[in-house]
Amino acid sequence: MQFLDEIETHVPALRRYARALTRDTDRADDLVQDCLERAIRKQALWQPTGSLKSWLFRILLNLYRNELRTNRRRGEHVAVDTLLVEPSIAPAQPGRIALAEMSRAIDLLNVEQKEALLLVVLDGMSYAEAADALSIPIGTLMSRLGRARAALRTAVGGGTEEPRLRSVK
Amino acid sequence: MKRIPLSMTSDLLHAYVDGQLSAAQIAEVEAYLANTPDARALVEGWRRQNEAITAIFAPVAGEAVPPRLSVRQIDRDVASHRAHRLRNWAAAIVLVLIGSAVGWTGRDYLTPVEAAPDRLIEEAVNAHTLYVREKTHAVEVPAGAPNLMTWLSNRIAVAFDAPDLSAHGYRFIGGRLLPGYGGDAAQGPAAQLMYENDSNQRLTLYVTAPLPDKKEVWEFKTVGPAEAYYWANDAVTCTIVASLPEAEVRLLGKAVFEQLTRRPDSTWNRNG
Repeated sequence: MQFLDEIETHVPALRRYARALTRDTDRADDLVQDCLERAIRKQALWQPTGSLKSWLFRILLNLYRNELRTNRRRGEHVAVDTLLVEPSIAPAQPGRIALAEMSRAIDLLNVEQKEALLLVVLDGMSYAEAADALSIPIGTLMSRLGRARAALRTAVGGGTEEPRLRSVK
Repeated sequence: MKRIPLSMTSDLLHAYVDGQLSAAQIAEVEAYLANTPDARALVEGWRRQNEAITAIFAPVAGEAVPPRLSVRQIDRDVASHRAHRLRNWAAAIVLVLIGSAVGWTGRDYLTPVEAAPDRLIEEAVNAHTLYVREKTHAVEVPAGAPNLMTWLSNRIAVAFDAPDLSAHGYRFIGGRLLPGYGGDAAQGPAAQLMYENDSNQRLTLYVTAPLPDKKEVWEFKTVGPAEAYYWANDAVTCTIVASLPEAEVRLLGKAVFEQLTRRPDSTWNRNG
C-alpha cells in the first residue's frame, strides 16, 4: 500500500503537467488515468532505486507521445483548448508577462521544448530527474530548455513594452 | 569580471533560475550577474517566464482529484481485471481440454461414414456394370446348375430362391458370389443374380444378409446409365440394377420384393 500512497501524492502534479501539455481537461485526465493504471499494473517493473516521480512522468510522457503519434497518423487536428486561466488578472505590475500571451506562446513551442520546459518549471524536478523522465541526456535537456526560453522570449518579449515579434514556426 | 565558459554560463544561468544550484554556486552566479547587465536581463526574463507558466497551470494541482483518478480505485480495477483475465484464461484452457477430450473420444463418430445403403447400392451398380457386359462369363454358375441357390443361400446366410421374373419377360441366367465391402461397417458377401430378356437386356439383383439395424429402407437412385432400386428389411437387402425406365424398375422391384420376402402385397411400400 505504501507504493499506492506514494503514487497518490504525485497525482496533482501529473494532472497539472498533463493539462499544460494538452490544454484539454478530459484528455489530460485520460492520460493521467492511463498512466496510473499502467504504473499500478507494472509496479513490479519499477526500480525502487530510481525516482518514482520521474518514473511516473516517463509513463505519462510515453502515453502522451503515443497519442500525438496516433493523432498525427490519423491526420486529426488536435484541438487546443481555450485558456485554462482567463487572464482576468491584468499584469498587475509593470514587467509582468500577460498570462494569455504566455499561454499562446507555450502552444507555439515545439513539443520537445514544451515537454522539457514545463517539466522543469512546473514540477520543480532536478535536471537529472527531468532528463530521466524525458528519457534524454541532461545536455539535450539543457539545449531544449535554452531553445524553449529563447522562443518564449521572442514570442512574448521579456515583459517589456517593446514591439514583439511572434516566432514563426 | 570572472571568466566563465560560455556554455557553462548559460547552463548555470538556467540552473540558477530553476533553483538547481547549491548555495556556493548561487553566490558565484550572482557575483557574475552583478557585473553582467545583459545576463541579468536575460535571467530576469526567464524568471518572469517561470512565474507566468506557474501562474497559468499551478491552479490545476489545487483542484479536487476526480474519482476516476483515485489510485485505490484504479488499483482495485486493475486487480479485478487481472483476476477476470485469469478466470478467462482458466476457462479457455478448460474449454480447450474439454474440446480435445470430446474430439478425441468422438473421432469415430465424427468421421463421415458412408451410409450402408449407399455402399450397397454402389457395390451393386459396380458389379452390374462389370458383369452384364460379359458374353460368355456373365455368370459364375448358370441357372440350371444343381445347388446354385443352396450354395448362394449358405454363403450369404440368407435362405432365398431366385425370383421368377418371367412374367416381366426376364429369364434367370445364373449367379455369382461377390465379396462384401470392407471397412468399419463390413458387410458379408453378396449374391448377384442375373436376368435377361429376349432382346438381350440384362438386369441384376444384388442380395445380402440384412444390415445390423434391420431397418426397413427404400431407396431409388440413378447412377450413370443404370437405375438402382434398393430396399432392405429385417430379412434381406436387395438392390435391383437395370438400365430401364424407373417405372419399369419399380415394377420389377415389387415382384422381387414379394418373392424374396414371401410377404403379401399389402406390405409393399407403394411410395418407395
